[in-house]
Amino acid sequence: MSDFPLIIIGGGLSGLAAGIRYARFGNDVLILEKHSKPGGLNSYYTRRGMLLETGLHAVTNYAPPEERHAPLNRLLRQLKISRRSFITHEQFGSRVLFPDNVSLSFSNDFQELVDEVARLFPATTDRFLALVADMDAANPFLPEPRVSARKRLREALDNELLTELLLCPLMYYGSSEENDMDYSQFIIMFRSLFQEGMFRPSGTIKDLLDLLLAHYGSFGGRIRFKSGVSRILFSADHHPRATGVELESGEIITCDALLTTIGFRETMGLVPDQLLPGKNETAPAGRLSFTESIYLLPQASRDKLACDKTITFYNTAPRFNYACPGEAVDLTSGVICFPENFHGLESKEYIQLRVTHLANYGIWQEAAKGGPAGTYAALKEEWGKRSKEAVGKIIGNYRENIVYEDSFTPVTVKKYTGKVNGAIYGSPLKHKDGRTPFANMFIAGTDQGYLGIIGAMLSGVTMVNQHLLT
Amino acid sequence: MTAEEIKDVLIEIIEDIDEDADMASLKPDVALRDQLDLDSMDFLDIVMELRKRYKIQIPEADYPHLATLDSCVAYLTPMLAGV
Repeated sequence: MSDFPLIIIGGGLSGLAAGIRYARFGNDVLILEKHSKPGGLNSYYTRRGMLLETGLHAVTNYAPPEERHAPLNRLLRQLKISRRSFITHEQFGSRVLFPDNVSLSFSNDFQELVDEVARLFPATTDRFLALVADMDAANPFLPEPRVSARKRLREALDNELLTELLLCPLMYYGSSEENDMDYSQFIIMFRSLFQEGMFRPSGTIKDLLDLLLAHYGSFGGRIRFKSGVSRILFSADHHPRATGVELESGEIITCDALLTTIGFRETMGLVPDQLLPGKNETAPAGRLSFTESIYLLPQASRDKLACDKTITFYNTAPRFNYACPGEAVDLTSGVICFPENFHGLESKEYIQLRVTHLANYGIWQEAAKGGPAGTYAALKEEWGKRSKEAVGKIIGNYRENIVYEDSFTPVTVKKYTGKVNGAIYGSPLKHKDGRTPFANMFIAGTDQGYLGIIGAMLSGVTMVNQHLLT
Repeated sequence: MTAEEIKDVLIEIIEDIDEDADMASLKPDVALRDQLDLDSMDFLDIVMELRKRYKIQIPEADYPHLATLDSCVAYLTPMLAGV
């Protein structure tokens, strides 16, 4: 008899949601998390007594409680978390900023985006509305052959600039592909970000994770931290099945089924080579990683900065380039987030500013490993300075007001999340059905293909429903 | 369990799944899905909860029997006779 009917590798949002879903119906389950904290890509750390979040800018898929079939509300029902007691704070509003002061605003009221398109591109409004109608009628969750979103948008809109303005935020918030995305993925993201909108749960990501952990525990689910898996064990027959895991400590835990949320390629790294020759060809590595900086500024600096928006997705290049940059960091585009800009949040002593840019994992990795001591720190310092200059041109100079700053690079992402190349959105090849070459082993999370915090959790729930509950 | 007890259990399970469900005006002979705005994911929860509580297996082919409150009771009565 196995130790557990189900083991879940990874205590991020998809793993926790999957665990809750499975434990809810009285089933024994163990989550194994490599780190000392839950959350995976959306976690937190403390510095100088302050809690700082990683990952979370905003949660997409906002829906009021009445919209019962909206992803957020379905998810909470599936997890048995009361929507009425789940407090949400909606964004002030966000924008996409392109050269020549082209600014496209959007908020949780979709009409604002429609009006903005009409203002900027009056001749394209009808085409835009036709595209929206087409997307509304589509079911992007069906397994369909890949269609290039960029190509589809160009055809539908016949407007290069609008195509790029729409793609920019959606790519930044979840494309694992360079300079394009699957049209189904585009539709899912368009709904999540533009049609539904952005919010924050009350409190920090820690409060959300604590809620999920407590909920999981109340159903009898178990989780172990600092329990990295060094390999997956398989039965020795013609159709090998996962029989358990070996931890980095050497401990062996057996199971009847395995759900892994650490990424497809990352999972295959735990499978013995002889069992799956050529396994890496089936799982191309993602190339898109990022740097992110967190700045704390005094409340008073609000007056001097252009900080009325929640999130600004900017691009200063003639052509928006969502790709692994040739340099350590690509400053020609980025995401500027003011995490206090959500309705109903109490103001604190400091305001936070978060800045994200595309970055080259190889260059950062080389600096961390190959160069003389101090190379990595110097690179971080240099690009930090250049980023502040670039962002200062957009929101106003804030360099002199910084009370505290910290930043992470693709190497940090790799270190804490195990993601190959620090690619937070995983491989460009998704496995929508969650299946692996092994009958009782499934994947959920990033490489299954649902994105964002709500998407990750829905992925965990859906994979448990489809493969493990019935 | 009696038919009345099974009905109470079902109502309790549905209320637990859907905090907004208006159980007072629920018509026992009209499809649950039409009255409660349940989707297929919610529907699975009723089946799973019954399995958890009474260790009964309801095959997917039998889901049509669970359309209304009355049909649920009729379907479940023999299965829960000894409970």
